[in-house]
Amino acid sequence: MLSAMQRRSFPSLTVFLILGVAGLAACERRGGCTGANCGTIIDAAVAEPGTLLPPSSEDIVANDIGEQLFLKLADVGMSENTLGDEDFQPLLAQKWEWDGPLTLVFHLDPRARWHDGQPVTAADVEFTFNAYNDSVVASPYRPKLHRIASVTQRDSLTAVFRFREQYPEMFYDAVYHMRILPAHKLRPVPRDQWRTAPFGREPVGDGPYRFVRWQPAQSIELVADSTFFLGRPAIRRLIWRFTPNLQVAVQQVIADQADVREQLVTPENVERVRAAKQLAVYTYRGNVYTFLSFNQRAPDDTTKPHPIFADREVRRALAMAVDRASMLKSALGDLAKVPPGPMSALLWIWDPDIRQLPYDTAQANRVLNARGWRDHDGDGVRDKDGQPLAFHILFPTTSVLRRQYALLLQEQFRAIGVRAEIDAVEGAVVNQRVGTGKYDTAILSRANDPSPSSGIAQSWTRAGFGGSNFGRYYNAEFERLVDRAVTATTRDRARPTWRAAMETLNADAPGIFLYALDNYAAVHKRVDNVQFRPDSWAALLRTWRIPPDKLIDRDRVER
Amino acid sequence: MTGAAWLLRRLVASVAIVFAVVTFVFILIHVAPGRPCPENVDRAVCDELTRQFGLDKSLPEQYVRYLVALAHGNMGNSYANGRPVGTAIAGTIPFTLQLAGAALVLDFLLGLGLGIYQAVRVNRLPDVVLGNVTLFIYSLPTFWLALLLLLVFGEKLRWFPVGGASDPILCPVVNSLYCVVDRLWHTVLPAATLGLVGAAGTARFQRAAMLEVARQDYVRTARAKGLPERRVVLRHQLRNALLTFVTRFGLAFPFLLTGAVLIETIFAWPGMGRLAFDAILLRDYPVVTGTALIASVVVVAGNLLTDILLGLADPRLRVRATTDVEAVTA
Repeated sequence: MLSAMQRRSFPSLTVFLILGVAGLAACERRGGCTGANCGTIIDAAVAEPGTLLPPSSEDIVANDIGEQLFLKLADVGMSENTLGDEDFQPLLAQKWEWDGPLTLVFHLDPRARWHDGQPVTAADVEFTFNAYNDSVVASPYRPKLHRIASVTQRDSLTAVFRFREQYPEMFYDAVYHMRILPAHKLRPVPRDQWRTAPFGREPVGDGPYRFVRWQPAQSIELVADSTFFLGRPAIRRLIWRFTPNLQVAVQQVIADQADVREQLVTPENVERVRAAKQLAVYTYRGNVYTFLSFNQRAPDDTTKPHPIFADREVRRALAMAVDRASMLKSALGDLAKVPPGPMSALLWIWDPDIRQLPYDTAQANRVLNARGWRDHDGDGVRDKDGQPLAFHILFPTTSVLRRQYALLLQEQFRAIGVRAEIDAVEGAVVNQRVGTGKYDTAILSRANDPSPSSGIAQSWTRAGFGGSNFGRYYNAEFERLVDRAVTATTRDRARPTWRAAMETLNADAPGIFLYALDNYAAVHKRVDNVQFRPDSWAALLRTWRIPPDKLIDRDRVER
Repeated sequence: MTGAAWLLRRLVASVAIVFAVVTFVFILIHVAPGRPCPENVDRAVCDELTRQFGLDKSLPEQYVRYLVALAHGNMGNSYANGRPVGTAIAGTIPFTLQLAGAALVLDFLLGLGLGIYQAVRVNRLPDVVLGNVTLFIYSLPTFWLALLLLLVFGEKLRWFPVGGASDPILCPVVNSLYCVVDRLWHTVLPAATLGLVGAAGTARFQRAAMLEVARQDYVRTARAKGLPERRVVLRHQLRNALLTFVTRFGLAFPFLLTGAVLIETIFAWPGMGRLAFDAILLRDYPVVTGTALIASVVVVAGNLLTDILLGLADPRLRVRATTDVEAVTA
């Protein structure tokens, strides 16, 4: 039996042993890398990609990682120009030229290599286009390539794109949507098995970073390709660490367990990050706008008009009843702007002077009265022919911000005698209900790529019926203006037409455009040359660097 | 009825329960609204994916196909990432077991100790204080406690990692003593969240069981014989109060599996709960059904194990079970 002394010392002994083992284990920390090409960046990502096979993945994190693994022929520059080829940066294509109005010829950089040592050839480019265009691959990018008729190889380093028609964004369409794939790796895989192919989880790319490992639900690690033909990346190792909760991801950067959180989203998070002495806050234009969509078709029978929102005047009244500026101030402070139409701050057509419906509750009341919506029974809710002016606001439960906006909208509608009920459901259910037209109103977000052409047309014209124009908005004049705007060859020529188109749409109030977030990012202060390209924050990661005198333990680790 | 026959009967019943759970979950997830398509994806793309997943077939046909594949040991492939469901689940089980194991140890060691301590000092100050503290902890929502622990011990004090199961730089795989310690280090906060709440409950149950036994004649007799108090408590009182403990042990399996869903999500723990949670949100039907299958097996096995342990601990229960079965079958 243990003596009293021994019994008393037992817990201390245990603690001593545990600390001893931990101490010994800690001695195993390996270090050693010095110089300009050390450095590790850990990104606190809030989602895990499904696959890293570019045509099959549209999620944001897959795109961020894809930027490092797979090159495009060329990419947009910091100006985000999409007209002609001005400011496009060569990547796999060393140069290009037009061979007639509909033929674009790319000359590949002969130094480009896949990470297994094989050269990148025009056959890869041809294979890539055919794969993206194959309905079996079910690539979300396929609709964006419909104006390219074919891609062929003239020789091993020359790829030829032929277009169906001439338009200002031909070059942009040719290079922006496709990441070139290794034909020698993917050709043997049947296309209907691409989503389950091991390649998607162990990709062989041609970008500045090579794939190292994917720990499911934990992290993806890439390592710099020291032989990268456009120059060795300065940061040696990139890790995406998956944390399915934004607050915890932010905590990771604050606690110095991650280096980057590219979107902080809420004012509270920005404040917390600003208080962390090792972090710097960067801002860049956001590519998402959020709006309340009015469904102009009846939810129970989409062939019939919606009993409330088919009426343009009622939509206008509801839009005028909403004080978007004060809602924005209350929910997001300075982190967002009220969009002047269906656009994010990324788009060059953004113009705060675009005419919008004013906040005018008196006018809103007058319009509703004039349309016969009055409170006949004195219950505080307007009605007409026995039907109350009442509808549902649909949004996903996972979005705290949209919940906040739904409550604010409910209150503002209540003030003019309109009853709005809140439907918070799962994201998958929102997608299904909105996609099938089974909703009254929904708070939706749209991400823009740098071009206004395809996004606006897909979401707000007849081209998007059955697709992204969920509310089935249609105005012939708006479509005429959009058609004219997308054929303008310079921004200066296009801008007035886009403005006229947006003012036409705003006057119809197919939705209420609520907020367009500016992106606030947290980055560790030891990282230099931090540049965010607004359409893709990770596009320029290979140019970031950590000076040798600022390296910390995790930068020096050798394995 | 012999013990072997009883066990066989329980095993058959267990298989039936698992089958029923799988069928129920399969039907439920397929009829639930929502489709396994990413947000904002073109409808044509979504239709093609639906066809490739076989969701254009009737529900009975999908169910039969699923059962046939399952009978061949194939749980299908994830819609979200294409991985075989069996592989995906197998990758998460060690993490879930690690977390559940650590939480169970904390739950029962702490809970048992506190329960005994309170029973020995019943109605005295330590008992009252501990009673209120355990009630307070037991009433806490686990997600709230998780966020609190993360804030205090992860973000503010930086004593423990904020989420994840390992250091992604030094220990992406466990290949050294350092990485073993690192893995345990990452387990502390999630296990403490689950274990503390569980321990609070265990302590209250154990205290009540101890006090119940304390009133028994054999305990009074032991004291009357002049046995040392420690021996009375540990040999006579605790041993007989352990039935509650064993029952709670069996019931802890479902709690740890269901409770872990939330905790694994908050702590970015790569376990089965998080896999199931993500799969439900993404309408990843094969993964949802696969995780339900494994979870039901674990729960049924836990209950079976409890019954066996109870039978071993208390021969009266064995007799009663046999008699009950015989009475029913007669």
